[in-house]
Amino acid sequence: MSDPLPAGVVDRVEYDVERGKIREFTRATFTTDPVHTDPAAARDAGFRDAPATLTHTVVAGHQRDQRAFVDSLGLALARVVVGSVTWTYLRPLTAGDHVVGTRRVVDDVQREGKRGGTMRVVALETEYVDAVGEPVVRLEEVLIERGEQR
Amino acid sequence: MRTPAKVRVGDAPDTRVVGPISQTDIVRFAGAGGDFNPLHHDPGFVATTGFPGVIAMGQMQAGILAGWLSDTFGVEHVRSFGVRFVAPVLLGDTLTLGGTVVTITETNGESLATLDLVASGDKGPVVTGSATVVVAAA
Repeated sequence: MSDPLPAGVVDRVEYDVERGKIREFTRATFTTDPVHTDPAAARDAGFRDAPATLTHTVVAGHQRDQRAFVDSLGLALARVVVGSVTWTYLRPLTAGDHVVGTRRVVDDVQREGKRGGTMRVVALETEYVDAVGEPVVRLEEVLIERGEQR
Repeated sequence: MRTPAKVRVGDAPDTRVVGPISQTDIVRFAGAGGDFNPLHHDPGFVATTGFPGVIAMGQMQAGILAGWLSDTFGVEHVRSFGVRFVAPVLLGDTLTLGGTVVTITETNGESLATLDLVASGDKGPVVTGSATVVVAAA
């Protein structure tokens, strides 16, 4: 489909940040600031176009093959939960941006679960860069694979 | 750029109440975000999983909490936003979103506040989190 990924990279996602999708995501998260939905309000506030909401990178879910990603890590999808997610903003993501996110494994450990059994904790980091290669937003995720029930 | 908010340590800006969460809210978020795991919309599938009913995707309540944060402080002033998923959100839950300023530090002439955040459902916290936000100098 595309070039093979370098070692440690689990997937790469590419997408265009669109006004319509920002509007849709803004409504779905009960966000009310008009800068997200009204380009004139956005410009008045100093943005070059409508800024995306803080967790807009979730939209990359549309472009991703989650099953292939989970399979590539050797995780059992039914036992995987997301423990935590942190976004770091280097500048606001804005309508018209074309971004590429590269997701890497930064930690992968086994731990004793509270209720017995071993759980696996995988830490991932995704850096989104814009069309000129400048970082825009960084995402850290911790996935937990619970131990099998006995 | 808009003027940053003026806050002090200990301040807790007005909370927001969202809900009761409906299946439509969850489907709307699925459409916006692209998460079509049947756990979030298919009661027949949910019955095989051990959950008491359809649950919202964690990213929905994370996004709703983020919306409260950016509506309160301005999206351009938020430097980081982090969440931890504590408990599932079920249909009919009402969410209360809010946070408290815990520290304010001056870095390179900029005032940066850290906030403790929480989204609570009917039975307690569902998401806890923290954020770093540019605020007006005291």
